[in-house]
Amino acid sequence: MTSVALALRLGRWGIVGFGLAALFATSVNTFAFYAVAGSTPQERITFGNSMLALSSQLVAILPPPIRPDTVAGYVEFRGFHSLAILFAVWAMTSATGFARGDEERGIVEALLATGTDRVALVVSRLGAFVIALSAASAAAAAGFVTGVASHRESIHVPGLVEECAILVALALACYAIALLVAEVAPARAATAAAGTVLVGLYLLNSMSRVFDSLSTWRWLSPFRYYDLSQPLTPGGPFDVRGFFVLVGIAIFAGAVAALAFEVRDLGSGLVAFRSRPGLAAHDVPREARWRYPVLRDLYRERLGILGWTAGLAVLAFVCAALTKTVVQVLLSIPTLAPYLSALVRSQIYPGVLGFTWLNLAQLLFAALAIAQVARWAAEDVDGRLEITLSQPVSRAAIVVERMAVLAVAALVIAAVSGLTLFYASHAQGIDLDPGRLVAASLMLVPFALVFAGAGALLAAWNPRAAVGLLGAFAFASYLDTELGAIYRLPLWLQDLSAFKLFGTPLVTGVDWRNVTLMLALAVAGTATSILLMQRRDVGA
Amino acid sequence: MLGQMAASAIRTTRLTKDYGLGRGLFDLDLQVSAQEVFGFLGPNGSGKTTTIRLLMGMIRPTSGSAYVLGLDAMRESAEVKRKVGYLPGDVPQFGSLRGSEIVAYLGGMRGGVDHARVRELCDRFDLDLGRRFREYSSGNKQKLAIVVAFMHNPDLLILDEPTSSLDPLNQQEFYRLLREARDGGATVFLSSHVLSEVERVCDRVGIVRDGRLVRVAHLDELRHLRVHGVEIEFAHESDVPKAELGEAEGVEDVIVTGTRVTARVRGSFEGLLNAIAGSRVVDFVSSEPSLEEIFLSYFTPGKPKALTP
Repeated sequence: MTSVALALRLGRWGIVGFGLAALFATSVNTFAFYAVAGSTPQERITFGNSMLALSSQLVAILPPPIRPDTVAGYVEFRGFHSLAILFAVWAMTSATGFARGDEERGIVEALLATGTDRVALVVSRLGAFVIALSAASAAAAAGFVTGVASHRESIHVPGLVEECAILVALALACYAIALLVAEVAPARAATAAAGTVLVGLYLLNSMSRVFDSLSTWRWLSPFRYYDLSQPLTPGGPFDVRGFFVLVGIAIFAGAVAALAFEVRDLGSGLVAFRSRPGLAAHDVPREARWRYPVLRDLYRERLGILGWTAGLAVLAFVCAALTKTVVQVLLSIPTLAPYLSALVRSQIYPGVLGFTWLNLAQLLFAALAIAQVARWAAEDVDGRLEITLSQPVSRAAIVVERMAVLAVAALVIAAVSGLTLFYASHAQGIDLDPGRLVAASLMLVPFALVFAGAGALLAAWNPRAAVGLLGAFAFASYLDTELGAIYRLPLWLQDLSAFKLFGTPLVTGVDWRNVTLMLALAVAGTATSILLMQRRDVGA
Repeated sequence: MLGQMAASAIRTTRLTKDYGLGRGLFDLDLQVSAQEVFGFLGPNGSGKTTTIRLLMGMIRPTSGSAYVLGLDAMRESAEVKRKVGYLPGDVPQFGSLRGSEIVAYLGGMRGGVDHARVRELCDRFDLDLGRRFREYSSGNKQKLAIVVAFMHNPDLLILDEPTSSLDPLNQQEFYRLLREARDGGATVFLSSHVLSEVERVCDRVGIVRDGRLVRVAHLDELRHLRVHGVEIEFAHESDVPKAELGEAEGVEDVIVTGTRVTARVRGSFEGLLNAIAGSRVVDFVSSEPSLEEIFLSYFTPGKPKALTP
């Protein structure tokens, strides 16, 4: 019981952050539905059809809704399905944080020294995560209930409970899988391996909605069993078998993870890289790169940057390869013809490609900035910032250097993914305007810098809360662009969202006012973070 | 004033960092001369690390000032660090970076690495820079931190509990390194709660308790503080003046075992001599206090906070 309490205490920021995100996601989408879907049955059917059109474009990311003309169907599609991805990310970070982060900080060793059994420790972490997930799911349910109750519509309570249950089961299965991978993989590759496995399982299921050949294998993915249920929607199914399969995956993977933890040494994975044999090295690398600011950090982060570059290039390739298939699927739906006719007359392929790729790229560049801010926060908490500041460098220089590293990394990633998109789309017979593609790709750099500026500010203010708060900021920015116009938010408020400022450069070209605003936001965030860094205590 | 600052490697005036609830550091007036090895002694939570972080400009003082090598520790922080080698109390986590990459990275921030010096330090401590930080034992992590602190031959070394995690052999090597640095013109400010270490390497010692500096003294002065252990052998049990000893001024911790009495005498021996004046004493031994005893006399609850010299 003490171990469970300690796990909840260690993960309290995650519970608060993801709970708030869940509450926000469902309540905002519920209120948004009432604001835009109309009140007559005809208006809602029209709205539902437009949502079906949208969902068809997102079919490679989210499962299509059943009845988006109802509040429950809409919130299930926009709110809960998005939360399934968000909770999977939470599961991955929590599981690897336990298996590797806590171990590296000595927490696991201290707990085992108290006589706690290894298997019991794994069980307690799984139990604590179930409690955390239940709290966050309850927050999601509360957001939905609040929105619906304010418009005096009835709620199908069993459906809501089933929706929360399947969400918890999916995230728990993801946690157990990530934990298993982290226990088995070599220590320094554990997080990357767990992330790769979960992304792979997610893509296996989501891509199987587009490529029939993958449907043979999708039973391997826990996301498949989540897709089988849409219990919140009136008349939607709750696949009991799928629910128990998810619980079974969690139990099985958790048990194997516990077994792996039982037999492996602390500090290394079940599979470990062998240490380099030979004589001790007493020499230091002489390369010039270590002497130059920015360059030395780029080199230090080279593997991460390489991974991001390769990952986004692959996604750009997949997007380009999928575009024609997706458009053909869309065109084959008679009800969508009126919505697509305008696009068909103009540039449908660049339009769809711009929508899918650039939307995905924006999310991933925001994630890149968040990952970088997580690194800055960890440097602060782990004492690396203190040792860095014991060298003759100013605090302002450190902030500027961090931003410059992110800018260069973002530029490299944007350039490679842009080139990949250009050649992959060309191979598909889709001719993109090279000038606009270059502009759109370059715009991803100031886009990432907006989040990095906000993150630098938050990391300077409170490094322990920076990642959670920046995630919430990114989520709010995304909703701002989705819902700002619907709620008639002031223009200045909408302009704080980088998603809104990014616009649609592949179709409509670059809006230089928006680029200037993005750069201004990034500079403002950086300047404020420098001021905060100058004044704050480090290491205290 | 300027001359005083120039002669001092470290000078603080009413330096205060108040964390609230009585925690922090208060009104620290301290001066450490150039080429001095200064030990900063105190139990856990007494304010040693806070002092060091203030000197390094890591944290801002609530009030007061700190000058390091004549430079303002906060305003001229970057310039201070050019001349200072720093070893933090907790070695930071560098994950999967190799030792050589960490040295190259931090050395790069100083404009480059003195390769010969690094090799010499690694040889002396038998540190393999080819291994990843994650694979290092805690002792090797500490050795790496020592290499980083000493690699640029700094004018001032600020070291927070530098020998923690080092085995006795490497501790000896570290003390030798410290003496060499001092002989080479460097000043050393080190915090510790290992008394033998301070006794071995320091010229002067400052003792801090509950965030306040209670005493600064040369080691010899501390050792000659008038706290003595005494052992007295009386001729017969009937000669042992138990009541008088219990009431004698400055006599503490009296233990009577048959005809043998042990006690601690704080300050003057007059009270003890008066108490035993009417008894037959066959043996009387007074021993000099060890630094350990001096330390305990400051920090044992219920004892006076300051000694009377």
